[in-house]
Order: sequence, then C-alpha cells, then structure tokens
Amino acid sequence: MTLDSPTRINPMIRHRASHIGRAVPRREDRSPLMGRQRYIADLKLPGMLEVAFVRSPEAHARIVSIDTAPALGLPGVHAVFTGADLADVDLFPHKILYIQPVRQPALAVDRVRYVGSPYAAVVATDRYVAEDAATLVAAHTEFEPLPTVADLDQALAENAPRLYDDWPDNYLVNFPAEKPEVTQAFEEADHTFSDTYVSQRQTGLPLECRGVLADVHDGYFTVWSSTQSPHIVRTTIAEMTGIPEPRLRVIAPAMGGGFGTKTHIYPEDVVVTWIAGKLGRPVRWLEDRFENLVSAVHARDQRHDVDVAYDDDGTIRAIRCKAICDVGSGEIFMPGTAPVFVTGGCLTGGYDFPNMEVHHFCVVTNKTPSGAYRGFGVPEGMFVMERIIDRVARLTGTDRVEIRRRMILQEDQMPYVMHGGGRVDSGSHAKGFERATEMIGESLERARARYADDPDVRVGVGYTNYVEPTTPTYHLTTGFWAGGDSATLRVDPDGSARVGLGTTALGQGTETTAAQLAADALGLDPDDVTVVMGDTDRAPYGLGAWGSRSAIVMSGSILMAADRLLTKARDIAAHLLEAAAEDVVLSDGSFHVSGSEAPTVSWSQVATSAWVRTLDLPQGMEPGLEMSGYFEPPDLEHLPDMSGKVNAAASWSNGAHAGVVSVRISTGEIKIEDYVVVHDCGTMINPMIIDGQVHGGVAQGIAGAMYEHFQYDPETARPLFASFMEYLYPTCSEVPAMTVEHFETPSPEQPLGVKGCGEGGTIGPAAVVAGAVDDALADLGVEIKATPVTPSAIREAIREATAGGGER
Amino acid sequence: MKPAPFDYYRPATVEDALAALGTSETAKVLAGGQSLIPAMNFRLSQPDLLVDIGGVEGFDRMEVGPSGVMIGASVTQSRVMASDEVANAVPGLRRALHHVAHLQIRNRGTICGSIAHADPAAELPALAIACGATLFLQGPAGERTVDAGDFFLGPFWTDLGEGEIITGVHFPSEPADTVTFLDELAWRSGDFAITGLAGALATRGGSVSGARMVSFGVSGAPGRMTGAEQAVLGFSAGDDGSAVYGAAYEDGADAVDDVHATAEYRREALGALAVRSVRAALSTNGNGTGV
Repeated sequence: MTLDSPTRINPMIRHRASHIGRAVPRREDRSPLMGRQRYIADLKLPGMLEVAFVRSPEAHARIVSIDTAPALGLPGVHAVFTGADLADVDLFPHKILYIQPVRQPALAVDRVRYVGSPYAAVVATDRYVAEDAATLVAAHTEFEPLPTVADLDQALAENAPRLYDDWPDNYLVNFPAEKPEVTQAFEEADHTFSDTYVSQRQTGLPLECRGVLADVHDGYFTVWSSTQSPHIVRTTIAEMTGIPEPRLRVIAPAMGGGFGTKTHIYPEDVVVTWIAGKLGRPVRWLEDRFENLVSAVHARDQRHDVDVAYDDDGTIRAIRCKAICDVGSGEIFMPGTAPVFVTGGCLTGGYDFPNMEVHHFCVVTNKTPSGAYRGFGVPEGMFVMERIIDRVARLTGTDRVEIRRRMILQEDQMPYVMHGGGRVDSGSHAKGFERATEMIGESLERARARYADDPDVRVGVGYTNYVEPTTPTYHLTTGFWAGGDSATLRVDPDGSARVGLGTTALGQGTETTAAQLAADALGLDPDDVTVVMGDTDRAPYGLGAWGSRSAIVMSGSILMAADRLLTKARDIAAHLLEAAAEDVVLSDGSFHVSGSEAPTVSWSQVATSAWVRTLDLPQGMEPGLEMSGYFEPPDLEHLPDMSGKVNAAASWSNGAHAGVVSVRISTGEIKIEDYVVVHDCGTMINPMIIDGQVHGGVAQGIAGAMYEHFQYDPETARPLFASFMEYLYPTCSEVPAMTVEHFETPSPEQPLGVKGCGEGGTIGPAAVVAGAVDDALADLGVEIKATPVTPSAIREAIREATAGGGER
Repeated sequence: MKPAPFDYYRPATVEDALAALGTSETAKVLAGGQSLIPAMNFRLSQPDLLVDIGGVEGFDRMEVGPSGVMIGASVTQSRVMASDEVANAVPGLRRALHHVAHLQIRNRGTICGSIAHADPAAELPALAIACGATLFLQGPAGERTVDAGDFFLGPFWTDLGEGEIITGVHFPSEPADTVTFLDELAWRSGDFAITGLAGALATRGGSVSGARMVSFGVSGAPGRMTGAEQAVLGFSAGDDGSAVYGAAYEDGADAVDDVHATAEYRREALGALAVRSVRAALSTNGNGTGV
C-alpha cells in the first residue's frame, strides 16, 4: 500500500453534486456517430508512402532466397526490405518467468512458422502499387517447406517436428503441479470421472484493424499506432531501435476497438518506424482484414484434460486439470502464455473450491501467435468448471441449482483466497446467483410455453458464476512492467481542469468516466474537465487500457493528484480570503471559510493567481497549479510465492449469468431465448457505460459460444479461413436482448470501492450456452464438451448420444 | 486487399459490351459487383478489363406480362423485391430474396449477376431452377435461351460461353395450384446457405400432385432432388414426413464438408428442410386443401 493514496473524495469538498454513479452521456460518441472520427486511415502527411507486408504462404518453411529486384523495378516502388535488413532487432526483449526463451524477429529472417508471418516490407507511392510489388516479391521467394504442426496432438506427439531447433520439445511452458490433498481426495471419493473440454481458437476482432503511421523530422519520431498501450509501444520501440525515448512520440489516435489484440508489440510497429527513419519520410501501413485474421493475435485455443472426484450426494471433492494452450508460433511480445495461467487461477470461478490441482502447459504450433483477448483465459476456465458441475449433477441426480448453491462463495467468507492465490476482497456471489436464478425461471416458463406444441423443439437453461480479475499485474506477462498508472491534473486560469491519463480510450467510454472522476475529485462539473489520453507527449506514463484496469488506476491516480492539487489550491484560496487554510472548504465550485457562505474565491481566481497574477500568491509559494499522481494498486502481487500462488489482480468483480435456449432437434438450430446477467463491479462510476460493457462482453461471449472459430488444415497447418465468409462473428441479429442487473459491493481496498468491468460479460456465455443445450437435450443424453456450439456440432452430439441419429 | 491493375469500360449498348468482352480473354462483366469486387480485392480474380453493364440500354427493364416476369441484366435485387407486380406474378421471388444477403448488398446486387456467378450456396440459381426460369444469353455467335435447369454445371461454372453475357432472365408466372418456396439454414441471418432448398409444389385435393425441388449449399452446384420429388407426390398434411426425409437425405449424397458443417449434417438438414418446407407450402396453399 502506498502511503499517499487516498481512497475517497477529499473531505474538504462539501455540498458537491456527485457525478460518480450517474449515467452521464458519453462525450466520445458524437464524432464516430457523425462519421467525423479520425482514425489512422484518415491521417495523411505530405510525402507519405504506403507499406505492404509480404506474408508467408507457408505454415513452416525455410526461406531459401528472396529476389526483390522485380518488385524494385515496378514504377512507384521506393524500397523493399527483408528480414536481413533488420536481423539485429529482437522484439522479445524481456526474459519471462516460466517460459522458454523465444526470439521474435521484426521480419522473418530464414524461417517462417505460420501463414501470415511477415518476411518482407514493400514501400510504394500507394497501397495498390505496394500490393502489386508484394505479389512480385512473393512470386520470387523460394521456400523449402518443413514438416508442420497443426494442433496440440501433433505438437506433443513423439518425434513431433519442432518449431525451435534448440528446444527439447514444443513446450513453451511446461508447468506441472501436484497437491497431496487432491491426490488424497481422489483416493477417498465415491466416484471419479475423466473428461476433455475444448475452447476453440478465436480473436478479439476489432472493427478497426491495426495501423501504423510513422514520421521523422529533425531526428524526432512521431508514431501513430492503433494500440491500447502507447507508452509501452514507445518504450519498446526505443529499446529495439535505439531512438531515445524523448525523441519518440507515440500517439494512439481514435480507435475502433482493441479487445486485447492491440496490447501486443507487433513487428509492424517497429518495422514501420524503422522504415520512416531509413527513408526520412512518413510511411504508413494499414492492416487489411485478411492480415488482421492471420497476423493479429489469436486467443483461447485451450484443451482441458480433467479428472474429477465426487461423492454420491453431488459433492465435488477435487479436480485435477491439465490446461493446455495452443499458442501458435509464440513469436509475439507480450507472449501468449499468460491466459492459461489465468484460466487455471480462475477455474473455480465464484465457487468455494480449494481442492483444485492445475497443470499449466503452452505448446507451440505452426499457427498465428496467440495472445490477449477480452476475458483473457477466464471464459475457458468457466466453461470447464460449469461443465464439470453439470456433469456431476447429472451423474448423481442432484439439482443443478442446488449443487451450485452449496458451493457458491458467501459474503462471510470474504476476503476469500482462491486455490491459485487470487484474493477476492468482497462480492455478491450468492445473492447474485439467487437473483439470476429467479429472473431466468420466468424466462424458462415462457419459453416452454412458446414451444409446447412443437415436439421438434426442446428448451433448456444454463448457469454460471464467475469472478472477473481486474487490474492485473503486467509483470508476470511481460517480465518488465508492473501494474500502476498515472494522472496529471491541471486547473487553468479560466477555472477549468485538464486531466492527463496513462490509460487510453478504445471505445469504452474512458473519457466520460475520467471526467466524472476528476469533476468529483475537484468539486467541478464534468463539462469543466478536459481529458487527454493516448499521446506520450501529452499524457503521463502509463500502461494503457487492458485487463479491465482503467477504472481502478484512474480512480487512484486522479484522487492522488486531486488531493495534492486541492491542498495547494486551498493554501492559495486561504491566502486570498485572509483565512487559515484548515478553515477553508470547497463547495459548489468555490472556496470559502467553513460556516460562512461569503466571501468566496473561485477556482478561476485561485488558478489565475497560480499561473498569471503570481504576485497574489502566498510568499515563497511556487507558482503553478498542476499535480500528478502515480497509483500502484494495493494488494496487487507481481511475483508468485514459493508455492506458485499469486494475487495477480488488484480486484475481483463477480457475476452470475443464466440463459434459456431452444434447440431444434431435427436441424440442431439453436436460439438464445433469454439471457440475464447479475453483475457486481463494486462502486459504479457510470452505470450506463457499465451496462454497455456487459452487453458488448456478452455479445463477444456468444461469439465464442456459438460462432467464431479459426480452423486449420490438419495436414498442412494452413488456415481454412481468409475472410468473414469462414470466420463468422454474430451480428445484432444473432445477439439476443438481455437483462442486466447490478449489485454494488464496493471493494474495501480499492479507491472509491471500484473494481473494473470490462471483461465480465465475455466470461459467461460459453458455459451458459453449453449448459442450456445439455439441459434441453438431457433426455437424449447429449453432453457438450467443446465450443463453438453450432447446429452441426449439436447434431453430431445427438448422433453420438443416440448412436445413429436420434429423433428426426 | 487491393485488386491487380485493370481497365474499366462502361458501354451503352449490348453490341459494344460484347465487342469489349471480345478484346480480352480475362475480361469480366461487372454488374452489381457484390461477389466480383471482393474476389478481385483478394486477387483471386484478376481480369484485365471490367465491362460495366450498368449503363447498357435495355438491361434495366423489368416487365411483368401474362407469361411471367422478365428481368434485365442490370436490375437489382432490391428493385425486384420492392415490386408488388412481380410479387403477385411470382410470389416465390420476393420470399426468396428475403434470404439473399443484406439490404445493402441487395441494393447493388443483381438477379442475373447472382445467376451468372453461380455460387453453389446462393439462393437465386436454385430458385431459377425451381421456378423453371429461362435465361437469355447473347454472345459473339448471337442470341440463345437456356433453361435454368441446364445452366449450372458446377461451383462458379455455368453454360455461359466465351464472351457471352446474360441479358435477362424470365420467371414464369406461378400457376394457381402451385406454391414456390425457399427455405435455408444459415448460422447468421443474411449468410449464404449451409443447406437450402428451393421448390415449386403443385397440389390437388390437399395433397402434392407435382414437385420441383432444388437443393443448394449442399454440394458443388444447385441440383434437382429427384428422390424427394418422387417421394413427395401424394404427401398431405397428416403424413409423418419420414419418406420425404429419407429421400431428401439420399438426394444429399454428394454433400460436402466445410468449416461450417459436416456433409452428414447437410444431408440431415436437407431432409428436415424438405419436410418442413413441404408442410409449410401445403398450408400456404389454401391450408392444404389445394385446388
């Protein structure tokens, strides 16, 4: 706990109108809705050239030769660079706990390990010419194909082809575990079963693909990158290229989403900056959708081999889980190894379940590197846990709600330390589940009535109770950064405030919520607050927006800066009022002596004294009215203890989801009839924005539960997708209306009691949909063990369960 | 995702269009561009010349007569869908177009373009076969007509000859005793079909007296379901449908596997679609009483 981090609004502020907790309209919506948002694709600089990357068509091959001459001969082509030009650049700068060292080249030098891997860059007058030239480079590249590894089984087979010759096998992470108490529970339990659950490969799929524009002038670089973490991009590019950090400005302009995919340091960020320096003129690369599908990080792709020990009465005694993540080629920083640890640590969700033994593995294959995606491992784990609970309920004839009631976390258990070390400080797990059950019960009755006359349709209900870790450490992920973030606050002579933040905005409403926070912290109106983010020259150092961290780190850092600012402002006001500082309070935007309404001194008068009429300041006081705060979340741990346990998240929101589906037996068609969410992220800064986060999260959860799936040819490891013809995301026609309710259990440890809410919605749907389909088809004996749950998969499950087709 | 270089020509007459097509072996006709342009952006299609027929005189005609509906080569799907006259003459056309992609795509996409493109999962080729439509073609050797049932040869492969274009398609008026229908399974609204079925069903005395049934999205080309067409004869509202299911399942013997569904799924779905759409068609047509 830092000494100087306030957790509440400064008590000097009286009679203020609180903006925290109000559904303040989003100030960032106007531009995109009017078509006036400026994305990187809208930015043009004089003399700007366009870059096209040449990407590997081979899943695994040696690059024998590249002849760039034909491409260079094309009119309009300015340069072609290959891996050899940037061979010294390693994009994997930091050694990270538990993982094999990986080298990530800027451009593949002599070997490619996945289809889509960039191995050359073409610079031309426009993108059309650049792609013509890229086609020529590709036509004049000779590859020597190597044996491919398309999935976990192939990667772990004896004598499997290895992606990295100097590794003994294909394990990027090999971290078994053993708990004596789990072994003992297996010996004592009435029964055991083993099963395998699979979460498919997906991606975050932002509407706006990636993009980089780099300019260099007088040795000063400006890089516009569609990134969630501009400061991390700056620090990393500087380290990679040797550009001094003060001469490198990274701007994350308006963004069309990120969902985790834009937290990584991509080769394109570094290569485009390097090219700008090399050519001395602005260059831009805009990722197209095909590139986005094959080269922005993938996610999920986990298999869980579980053993479960349980008793006749439905008590689950212990679970042993081998969690194996297919991380693709592994050539990405930050690496895709962290999600599986989060899966393991959060597998027990909102349940009191200590007897859990998780073995963590990450395996490399000839596929796109995997990394971050909203939910970050938690949805995969909840899918496993709820599948196990439903199966035990079915095997023992226990009611599915009752079995969950017995296990769910109770308020008197707080703080509750989970099996992996996660420390849940508070929550409404039990009452949230009760409320969700109550709400969905009515939906279930309605759906049953709706299909009562159709014997081809069955109706079922599914449940999940999860925890949502927020504001995690970045140290276990990157081996470098930690978990804090900063704010600067300035009050200008006109009395309005400017807040600069190290976090960023990618569509989630941060500008509005930051203004609400700063307004309350300074006793101002949100309209008097201007928020600046996403620019390393204008905003203070920070780690950006990911891991549902912005709410906590903004709250903490804004309160810190505000406290410092208020202390100085009060001294100035007291001087102007000729009163003692300790008697001065701030109400309705004006300073006055406590107990007397007049005279008053406004924020504008105080700031004018501080910046302009500095002769009015108390003797010896340094002019200026700007303060900063760097907030390190309390209780956030950055390294595991000797037993491997770590509280890697500053806070833990919770939620209960329940859904009703109808399934048409003859065709496997599935429809979500109703979906309810009971959510608790502590103190709510803006309930409307939180609702939006939950809705969007559930939509992406449904994407994983029923639609999105990157499939690869098992023979060649080539992608069986190139566009949205193959990779199906749900549209507004497929995402059902949902009901969202909230409990508000403030965190006792985090500033203002906030917890974070960006990812919870994503966690529930896979578990809920699978549970509901199982329930609907229970009399056929169907058990869903993998996502996505498509009609084809449902028919296959019915065929397997009924050995031949079941009812038609 | 930018196309390879190409030339663009927008002729005003069909003669000019044909002459332009004759100048290049890789030239392509551009109508609505809803399939061709994405294929060009992926460089899967690299024509050196695009002949835009959007301005060709007479290609925008849409005429409803006693024999049916004549739709010119540049008539958009939205325009056809909006016409009550067309819907009265060939009710199945509007019903089928609801399944074709999304509004924005139908605003540009043409009926004839979809037929010429011959995507095996597209609705309009199958509907043209089911309706007994006639295609009007014109090429270097002159004009000719082809029955839709003889036109589709395989995936993206038709009877269209070198330098030949579709100038129009004629959908015959729906007979009073017949219902034209189209049903499909797609994972998302507006997608190409995972499994689809277009049909025209004649009924007499409450049971089926004649049928033309066409599967699409199941195999490499839309195809007549000869087994189901036989099995459905005499089908009435009370029948359990198992014979139709079984026959349709067998009609799907050449179903394909892909990332969306297995071949076995497509066969089962074709069976289920056959039963449900025949039932629905019977109830549409005078609640199964027929004429």
